[in-house]
Amino acid sequence: MLTRIHGGRVIDPTAGRDAVGDIWIEDGRVVAPSERKPDRTIDATGCVVMAGGVEVHSHIAGGNVVMSRLLLPDLYVSESAPNGHPFAHAGGSGSWVGANYARMGYTTAVEPALPPSNALATHLELADIPLLDRGGLAVLGNDDHLLQLLRDGEGKQAVRDLVQQTLAHSRGLGVKCINAGGASAFKDGVLKLSLDDEIPCYGLTTRKIMSALLDAVEEIGVPHPLHVHCNNLGLPGADDSLVATLEAAEGRRIHFAHAQFYAYGVVDPENPMTGGFRSAAERINAAMEAHPNATYDVGQVVFGQTVTISLDILRQFGGRKGAKPKKWVLSAGDAEGGGVVPFLYRPRGPVSSLQWAIGLELMLLSSNPERTILTTDHPNGGVFTEYPRIIHLLMDAEERAREIATLPAVVGERSGLPKIEREYSFSEIAQLTRSGPAKLLGLTDRGHLREGAKADVAIYRDQKDRTAMFSHAKLVLKDGQPIVEDGEVVAWFSGKTLSLDVEADAGMEKRAESYLQDRFGAGLDTFAVPDAAFPENTGTFEDVACRA
Amino acid sequence: MAAWVKGGAADVDAAVEAAADLLAASRVPVLAGLSAEVSALRAAYRLAETLGASLDPVSGPSVYAELGALSAGGAMTTTRAETIGRADVVLILGNRPWDGDLIAEIAEAAPSRGRAAGGERALLSLGGPQNGATRHVAYAAEAGGLAVSLGHLRAFAKGHLAGEAAYADLARRLYAAQYGVVVYDPEEVGELGVEMLQGLIRDLNESTRFFALTLADPFQGRAAVQLSAWTTGQAPRVGFGRHQPEHDPWRFDSARQIAAGEADAALWLASLPAPRPAWLGSLPTVAIVGEGSPEAAGETAEIVITVGVPGQNVGGALWNERRGVIAYTEPKAATDAQTAAGVLARIRDRLIEKGVSC
Repeated sequence: MLTRIHGGRVIDPTAGRDAVGDIWIEDGRVVAPSERKPDRTIDATGCVVMAGGVEVHSHIAGGNVVMSRLLLPDLYVSESAPNGHPFAHAGGSGSWVGANYARMGYTTAVEPALPPSNALATHLELADIPLLDRGGLAVLGNDDHLLQLLRDGEGKQAVRDLVQQTLAHSRGLGVKCINAGGASAFKDGVLKLSLDDEIPCYGLTTRKIMSALLDAVEEIGVPHPLHVHCNNLGLPGADDSLVATLEAAEGRRIHFAHAQFYAYGVVDPENPMTGGFRSAAERINAAMEAHPNATYDVGQVVFGQTVTISLDILRQFGGRKGAKPKKWVLSAGDAEGGGVVPFLYRPRGPVSSLQWAIGLELMLLSSNPERTILTTDHPNGGVFTEYPRIIHLLMDAEERAREIATLPAVVGERSGLPKIEREYSFSEIAQLTRSGPAKLLGLTDRGHLREGAKADVAIYRDQKDRTAMFSHAKLVLKDGQPIVEDGEVVAWFSGKTLSLDVEADAGMEKRAESYLQDRFGAGLDTFAVPDAAFPENTGTFEDVACRA
Repeated sequence: MAAWVKGGAADVDAAVEAAADLLAASRVPVLAGLSAEVSALRAAYRLAETLGASLDPVSGPSVYAELGALSAGGAMTTTRAETIGRADVVLILGNRPWDGDLIAEIAEAAPSRGRAAGGERALLSLGGPQNGATRHVAYAAEAGGLAVSLGHLRAFAKGHLAGEAAYADLARRLYAAQYGVVVYDPEEVGELGVEMLQGLIRDLNESTRFFALTLADPFQGRAAVQLSAWTTGQAPRVGFGRHQPEHDPWRFDSARQIAAGEADAALWLASLPAPRPAWLGSLPTVAIVGEGSPEAAGETAEIVITVGVPGQNVGGALWNERRGVIAYTEPKAATDAQTAAGVLARIRDRLIEKGVSC
């Protein structure tokens, strides 16, 4: 069926496009303008037309997400479900996740923490998130097998083979390392770890582990660069950790997760841990300017109750006494495990207000929004449904000033946000939420509206109230089919789980089997994610090719 | 594969039709058992949503002893492999952990990873059977049971009770651990006991590392909890009678609902073995049971449909106790048996065709 989206303001920064025009779609793809009469014409007059949104870092599935629901069963509210949309109104459920992303015009979302030891359950949960294409990043950096290889000085080839085998078995889209060595060190009594501190029992450092993973990712040809969660998240002076890690990458491609939580400069060098923090947004962005090999996502804070979910168990243990309400879960797992700590970003509180300001400052100082991607690190900085409000604040300096005026003076004293006059354009929003994350993930078929792109399209009514505009898309097409109309789900589409097309090296597979049998009394089959486990979702997975 | 309707052999199509009629005629149906592979659990949740039914896993008592304490105060846990690889002190609570092969496996190995590697492993027990086959230091439970014993132990550990009591000695041993683990069955320890124990573990972690290793129920309860959480945002028990998932362990206790006369129809799902409920036969029921099980007979319920047994003649994603995760299990000898998920989906399809909707 040939479809023409007519008369909308088409925004595609990858093609330098920001003008009223048409988009043509056939067989689920964007095609060249046609001489043929379209079978369907969608009137987009008065609307903004963008590619579907792409999420790079949102905790939407996995054992720790499940645990957060069990720990805080009242965090989300369930509402009556209209017939035909089972579970979409069940607060916090996978269907709720899919429906709410789709309503905002997002069509792809990536879970950044796919634990290889629990990959099947994570994928079963991802597969139950409707309307979106999904993916997960396999987490490495604390598992004994990898650390043993590194401790024993085995070569790059062995590390590469183990990473590739892990990717193949967990069906990951990329690789992430979370406070590399930190979980292992925590289990051995360490409570603070920096880039060059020794990991007990292995004689390694975060730098060595991360460096090995950076090399492995490049040698395998993973399209998405190594996704790095640094040491010392959330602590005053965490900017030092991020900048040191950036330099340690030595020019290799690297992506930093939730940079806002690291943009905390020390106020009082004499008392670094007790003297408070100030924005290091300028420093972080200057470092990014000097290192074109790097990208980050923001991890914007929004006010209110949330729950923090992280495989960084060292950090989560450190944050347990700030839990609100005062309960938390920490699991020392087979590699990382996880920590689930409820948290309240107190509305108009001085600390949360400064965190809020730093996230916005990072984005507003960015010279290239494609490298500073919008996330809230859902749910760690806040729920992803706050994206429209964040976009509003980026696009409207007056609205931002109104909000800042309600906040404590510390926002002006310790961040540069109030002085920034910049307003994001639609093209920059598209870079921040579409083309940037798609390029980062190496998904060349989305994030833009050029010929050949997947026909994942979001059409918004152009309203001055950007929160309202981006909360409820007028129309969302997934693979060319309408899934949302006037902000409501109209078709119950099941997307694909994107996984990297890699095969495990036979030698490493044999070696891993032996290692796992020795350690777990169970082999690779208990780590596998076979198609047969998804009987109702035949064709759940879609391969993504490695870089040439 | 086989099916029965009102005691008489029937083909599966007829049994599915009869099951849909039975459930369509009910006002308050319950789906119970849920001892089944993940795909079947998933299909059961969808069927319950369509029907406006409630769901109650047979694993409830174990699940609630753990979840109640979890949502009240949290938890610190570890895995079987981390226990075997790292623990230098293991405290075994009660009797149940001694039943399987876990304690023998822990006792046979010494710490091989982490800071305790190369040292010895101390096995301690509290309120156990004083198993002579495994070398360990045994502490008796107090008359009030495990929960009270844990309260006293925690008081000694915190210094709130003083003296040279046995529990003072036990507390010292726990604090001396570098990577300590408490092994227990939540159902045996009970919700209050679990809450007190997790408090003790939090206290211990102020100066060392100490975690819980909890035993799972044998009826896929942990898989059901995960599936329920990602499907509805809530743990079971869950009801859909008011057009939205509601978590309420008391209200949706199927035995209570049936005894009180609230429920007027039931679907019993047990593609894997599960204890037969006392109420079976007391109200119109559809039983979906594993081939070859004792329940695979016409007299079990008004409608009985047999399905493949995951891990035996069909594959399935199942809770793997050794790994502590959901893992796919290939069939030992695959047959063309229909799956529980397939039967449940067919019943749901017929209900939708009949216009049934909550």
